Amino acid sequence: MAKEMIAMLLAGGQGSRLYTLTQKLAKPAVPFGGKYRIIDFPLSNCVNSGIDTVGILTQYQPLVLNEYIGNGQPWDLDRLHGGVHVLPPYQQASGSDWYKGTANAIYQNINFIERYDPKYVIILSGDQICKQDYSDFLKFHKEKGAEFSVAVMEVPWDEASRFGLMVTDDNDKITEFQEKPKEPKSNLASMGIYIFNWDILKKYLIEDENDPDSENDFGKNVIPSLLRDGRQMYAYRFDGYWKDVGTISSLWEANMEVLDPENSGINIFDDNWRIYSRNSGMTGHIIGEDATLENSMITDGCSVEGSVKHSILFAGVKVEKGAEIEDAVIMGGSTIKTGAKVKHCIVAENVVIEKDAEVGAMPEGDEKGVATVGSGVVVGEGAFIGPKAMVSEDVKGGDKVW
Amino acid sequence: MVNSNADSAMGILFPNSYDSLVPELVSERLMASIPFASRYRLVDFMLSSMVNCGIDNISLIVKRNYHSLMDHLGAGREWDLTRKNGGLNIIPPYAQKSVNVYNGRVEAIASILDYLKRQKEKYVIMADTNIAVNFDFSAFLQKHIDSGADITIADTREEVPKALLDIDVTKKDLYYTLDIGDDDKVKRIVVNEKEKGEQNVSMNIYVMERQMLMDQIREAYVNGLIYFERDIVSPQINRLDVRAYQHTGYFARILDIKSYFEENMKLLKEENVSALFSPGTIYTKIRDDNPTRYAAGSHVRNVMAADGCVIEGEVENSILFRGVKIGKGAKVRNCVLMQDTVIETGATVEHTITDKNVTISAYKELKGTESFPVYVEKRKTV
Repeated sequence: MAKEMIAMLLAGGQGSRLYTLTQKLAKPAVPFGGKYRIIDFPLSNCVNSGIDTVGILTQYQPLVLNEYIGNGQPWDLDRLHGGVHVLPPYQQASGSDWYKGTANAIYQNINFIERYDPKYVIILSGDQICKQDYSDFLKFHKEKGAEFSVAVMEVPWDEASRFGLMVTDDNDKITEFQEKPKEPKSNLASMGIYIFNWDILKKYLIEDENDPDSENDFGKNVIPSLLRDGRQMYAYRFDGYWKDVGTISSLWEANMEVLDPENSGINIFDDNWRIYSRNSGMTGHIIGEDATLENSMITDGCSVEGSVKHSILFAGVKVEKGAEIEDAVIMGGSTIKTGAKVKHCIVAENVVIEKDAEVGAMPEGDEKGVATVGSGVVVGEGAFIGPKAMVSEDVKGGDKVW
Repeated sequence: MVNSNADSAMGILFPNSYDSLVPELVSERLMASIPFASRYRLVDFMLSSMVNCGIDNISLIVKRNYHSLMDHLGAGREWDLTRKNGGLNIIPPYAQKSVNVYNGRVEAIASILDYLKRQKEKYVIMADTNIAVNFDFSAFLQKHIDSGADITIADTREEVPKALLDIDVTKKDLYYTLDIGDDDKVKRIVVNEKEKGEQNVSMNIYVMERQMLMDQIREAYVNGLIYFERDIVSPQINRLDVRAYQHTGYFARILDIKSYFEENMKLLKEENVSALFSPGTIYTKIRDDNPTRYAAGSHVRNVMAADGCVIEGEVENSILFRGVKIGKGAKVRNCVLMQDTVIETGATVEHTITDKNVTISAYKELKGTESFPVYVEKRKTV
């Protein structure tokens, strides 16, 4: 049975700018917003937009991601025909190859796509926090009679040269594509989300693969080829919340924005557009006698006896009496012991911050670092982790890391 | 695939047992689907305990008001009971010319005799759902097998709870205490014991061979008997080898609205939470709520809360279920607020149980007392 549109989700990136957070897991599997992982956003968008077939392209540290996706049931993607499939590179008669670029990753899975005989294919990126209705995007694509459409965001003109830009005419038709230009002619930045007519995509993927000079990348190779051939290409304007969480500071910032849905525009409390995730299965959280809480988000399995201000605690976090947490993102299973001060930082999963240790500091003047503690790290009693430090190995009691 | 020679057991739960003790809470549901401990329903505890002990063929014989239970359990996926063999099996009363609603356990089990015959497990474990407990069914079954008993009954050592002493026998809800001799042999089953002091109070959890259960039920049904304990086990206590198994761990027995309130409140103590929720995980239906949000200006102490709540006011000594909203300036003390309760701006609520989807309007005041908590019905606006 043919599908109208299926999604291919690029989740192979190493996420090297997240350093210690992605040492053991792929970027899309990085925890976000209290009980989610980054990939929950594109997956939930798919389901909420009526897309029931998703291929997830992975190759870097896929174990956590594979287990997390499982059979796709939490996203309602366990389907008889379609559903979610994790697609690592595999050996073929002609040999095997890692995914060389975004376009090559899709090329290597042409057979997967053909099984569903779709009319359209949407290419998604697994490292963005965004609530988007892809069915509205598809409607635009069809109305324009497009062969290729790209979702774009208006960005401030002075930042435009950092992005891939689409220059369009009055009818949103793309006339030119500028990759990080010195002199931008447009402020419409590509979000890396594309809808292709499948026949067109397939033709260009094969052509691109046969070009030995190509880097097999959508932005660098495929889109310029489409332009050169004068294809029907349109830019779909998206004006909702969108954030690339590829760096420590943008990841921290996006988490903080979740705490302020009224002003930031990222509302995960929306019953009409739920974000689904695999549940921790822990009991309700407990707020103790001496706890103080202010503007924070807390989820199942947490137990809070200390003070938590403007922070996000993931499942199973323990905050002991006298511990102070402010402007912090504390991921699942971590423990903050008595007297510890944890501020303006990201603490990854299953970390222990021992008694009276200090991690990060509130910004003073222009000093605005986000301290980061990698997963499983033990920060010893009375240790100090500076506001710009990044720790991926245990820190002995009393030690200082800057 | 179940091997009938193996020492495996299937489970039967009776979700309507003791409904009559909590009429308020079961007006639109049954005992098994009463919300408990911020994100669970009572049935989750027995069901998860069984699953954690490798029992994956579980039947629930329901009698009335079971829509909420069916909605909660679905196909049993959250309990890992969506199985090709066994799994979850909800058995409603069978409608013939008129719906024949059974009275006691004998009739209930008699209605599934054909089904029981087709099962493969050697043993059957039966239980009610009014006790929240992390029960070790493996140890229970092992003791039964090792002792060579015909029937083993689980009990707790405690004084008969006051709610049971006051039980209205005309409503037909019986309770049992056990007179236990050497080798844990049950010498006598006492129906509705009034005597003071510690007793061996039956948890109404039984294990016996499936074949024996079928034989006994067939015999009893033909003779018009009703209750399993009173009419089958008790009269044959000298003929059958009946043993007791004492449960010494944590449990929360729901017997009336007051015990419901108190057992919820006990979970504000962390040691009670870890006693009830370990060693086995308790599974429940997933609702995909966002994490709970504590706004600036909220004031919270000694609270157990599930996901999906938004707290802007003051909360103290309370249990909040999923999706509860507490408005600015609202004061909530010593309350159990079930799913999606809304306490509007400036309202004051103390010693109150609100059922699902209750709204307490702005600046209203609602106060019960410790011994007599106020109960607000499902979907009511105060």
